[in-house]
Amino acid sequence: MVLADLGNQISSALANMSNSTIINEETIDTLLKEVGNALSRADVSLKLIIQMRKNIKEQLKLDAMAAGLNKRRIIKKVVFDELIKLLDPGVAPWKPTKGKSNIIMFVGLQGAGKTTSVTKLASFYKRKGWATAMVCADTFRAGAFDQLKHNATKAKIPFYGSDTDRDPVAVAKKGVDIFKKDGAEIIIVDTSGRHKQEEELFKEMKEIETVVKPDNVIFVMDSSIGQAAFDQATAFKNSVSVGSVIITKMDGNSKGGGAISAVAATKSPIIFIGTGEHIPDLDLFDASSFVSKLLGMGDVKGMMNM
Amino acid sequence: FMKYFQTLTGSRTIDNNDLEPILQKLKSHLTSKNVALDIAEKLVDSVGQSLQGKKLSTFQGVNSVVKQAMEEAVTRILTPKKTIDILRDVQAVRGTRPYTIVFSGVNGVGKSTNLAKICYWLTAHGYKVMMAACDTFRSGAIEQLKTHAERLNVEVFERGYGKDAASIAGEAIDYARATNHDVVLIDTTGRMQNNEPLMRALSKLVNQNTIDLVLFVGEALVGNDGVDQLVKFDKSLSLLADSTQTKVRTIDGIILTKFDTIDDKVGAAISMVYSTGHPIIFLGTGQNYTDLKRMNVKVVVKSLLN
Ligand SMILES: Nc1nc2c(ncn2[C@@H]2O[C@H](COP(=O)(O)OP(=O)(O)OP(=O)(O)O)[C@@H](O)[C@H]2O)c(=O)[nH]1
Ligand SMILES: Nc1nc2c(ncn2[C@@H]2O[C@H](COP(=O)(O)OP(=O)(O)OP(=O)(O)O)[C@@H](O)[C@H]2O)c(=O)[nH]1
Ligand SMILES: [Mg+2]
Ligand SMILES: [Mg+2]
Repeated sequence: MVLADLGNQISSALANMSNSTIINEETIDTLLKEVGNALSRADVSLKLIIQMRKNIKEQLKLDAMAAGLNKRRIIKKVVFDELIKLLDPGVAPWKPTKGKSNIIMFVGLQGAGKTTSVTKLASFYKRKGWATAMVCADTFRAGAFDQLKHNATKAKIPFYGSDTDRDPVAVAKKGVDIFKKDGAEIIIVDTSGRHKQEEELFKEMKEIETVVKPDNVIFVMDSSIGQAAFDQATAFKNSVSVGSVIITKMDGNSKGGGAISAVAATKSPIIFIGTGEHIPDLDLFDASSFVSKLLGMGDVKGMMNM
Repeated sequence: FMKYFQTLTGSRTIDNNDLEPILQKLKSHLTSKNVALDIAEKLVDSVGQSLQGKKLSTFQGVNSVVKQAMEEAVTRILTPKKTIDILRDVQAVRGTRPYTIVFSGVNGVGKSTNLAKICYWLTAHGYKVMMAACDTFRSGAIEQLKTHAERLNVEVFERGYGKDAASIAGEAIDYARATNHDVVLIDTTGRMQNNEPLMRALSKLVNQNTIDLVLFVGEALVGNDGVDQLVKFDKSLSLLADSTQTKVRTIDGIILTKFDTIDDKVGAAISMVYSTGHPIIFLGTGQNYTDLKRMNVKVVVKSLLN
């Protein structure tokens, strides 16, 4: 995972600042520019970067009043806090309830990794002892039914889908009803990939949401996504009630800034990251431990001792 | 008064102080359009250098001079140095052997779907086309290809899952020759550019067989990672090239997919072409067979700079 690079770049920008003797408007601007570049290289939305730089500057103005406090320490803390704010929407992640059917619906752009992550998540809950099932409501993509069916067989998880019924709403409803009756505790519904420019497909997604009544909608996003992330994620959020985010393909070389944009757009926490193509390649995500890792614990401690 | 008049329009030389803020703004603009940061920096630097010390003609502002220079630069980048005419090349070998095309790229970008679109296009031009199912890894990949083949009424050569892709490609080409196919379209497994064993396997597939055209399929959604993807795919094709080979194997051209999902954030096109010089042969603009377009350089440049 390369998000750590971002942490390194930011840490070194902060270190450079410590070495320069005077701290004035100019040093702060240089620092903010370097932090901004690091975030930009990681694909964080430019809007967010500008906002963050503004926030930091305002914070610093306020804190500058506090007499006797070490300026460098304050600057570091403000930068760290703003970073944490970007990754942590301050909402507790949704948790399934025992003894009922919890319905989870997956949505996202084409090829983001929904179908793969559906199986990974189902398998995660199965390992934890939940009665789990999967429904394929992607009746559009060629081979989608077979893809989830193969995965279901591999993971030994019950599965519903149809290779003749072309109506995703009907298939979703039927599958969910069947597994509810069976007493499944976790029912995960996979849907087709779509994007905001296709109104019809967004309407279809809402219809599926209406009939399956999900307890949680998970937005899946590819970690390599660039500046389009924010607008696309916002459109999904505005259309269905997204409650969580999964970021996929973190085993690649991308710095995952799209993740930050998705959190900002959906105001939903990242719950898992995908780290490979195999079923166990799913890691739990915790924003605060992630950020401290990102910035290196040493730095946080060092900051406190200054 | 004269002095004021001069700064507004006069024929004076451009100096750094005029240029710097405009270039910085332009860099941010390019980044917001999803050009990778490093590429945006290089572009802006080269435009800045080309204008250094140049005389402004009467009634010309620095702003418009910079914009024009940038427009020329990106137009030059996007205009292919060598054109790849697939129809001509297919025609040239027709009757002697099948023309072979490999579709490569990272996971989920649209390799298989755009292979099917190319199949539709070649079939419409009267060629006898065959698909080779060399993604023997991802669940449902073979069924996906079979579904397209059935709809397009062409043959698929497949040997099931888990087999060596390079040898299946070889068998497929032999089969195509024996059955008088004009073209073989070879689907491959998606792989991350930093996954060395998988990159080696791709190199083997390409170098062990007679491949006429290696296409890199990338998505317009990709951010800074797009450059790394393309550069690494380009390089790794020569990993297993035999030392007696006179020509180093590289990617021949790019298909840039999901162009319908990005509005005016067209920067990935620039990043990809700039970093390797390979031409964009087609844009993928949707999920239907006809959603395969030639890139209109003017339109792309306009979206980029507006
Ligand atoms: N390396 C890697 N590949 C992944 C990961 N998650 C998914 N993939 C791959 O990404 C590709 C697309 O995944 P899918 O699960 O089919 O994506 P999807 O969102 O269901 O796609 P559509 O249904 O077509 O919209 C496949 O090749 C997956 O194997 C991951 O965490 N790491
Ligand atoms: N909107 C849009 N979607 C596309 C385009 N090209 C492909 N897709 C969709 O992207 C998703 C992934 O496409 P695939 O062709 O399966 O991608 P792939 O690269 O073969 O994926 P793997 O084999 O799993 O690595 C599918 O849902 C396609 O319908 C395009 O140009 N525009
Ligand atoms: Mg899917
Ligand atoms: Mg494929």
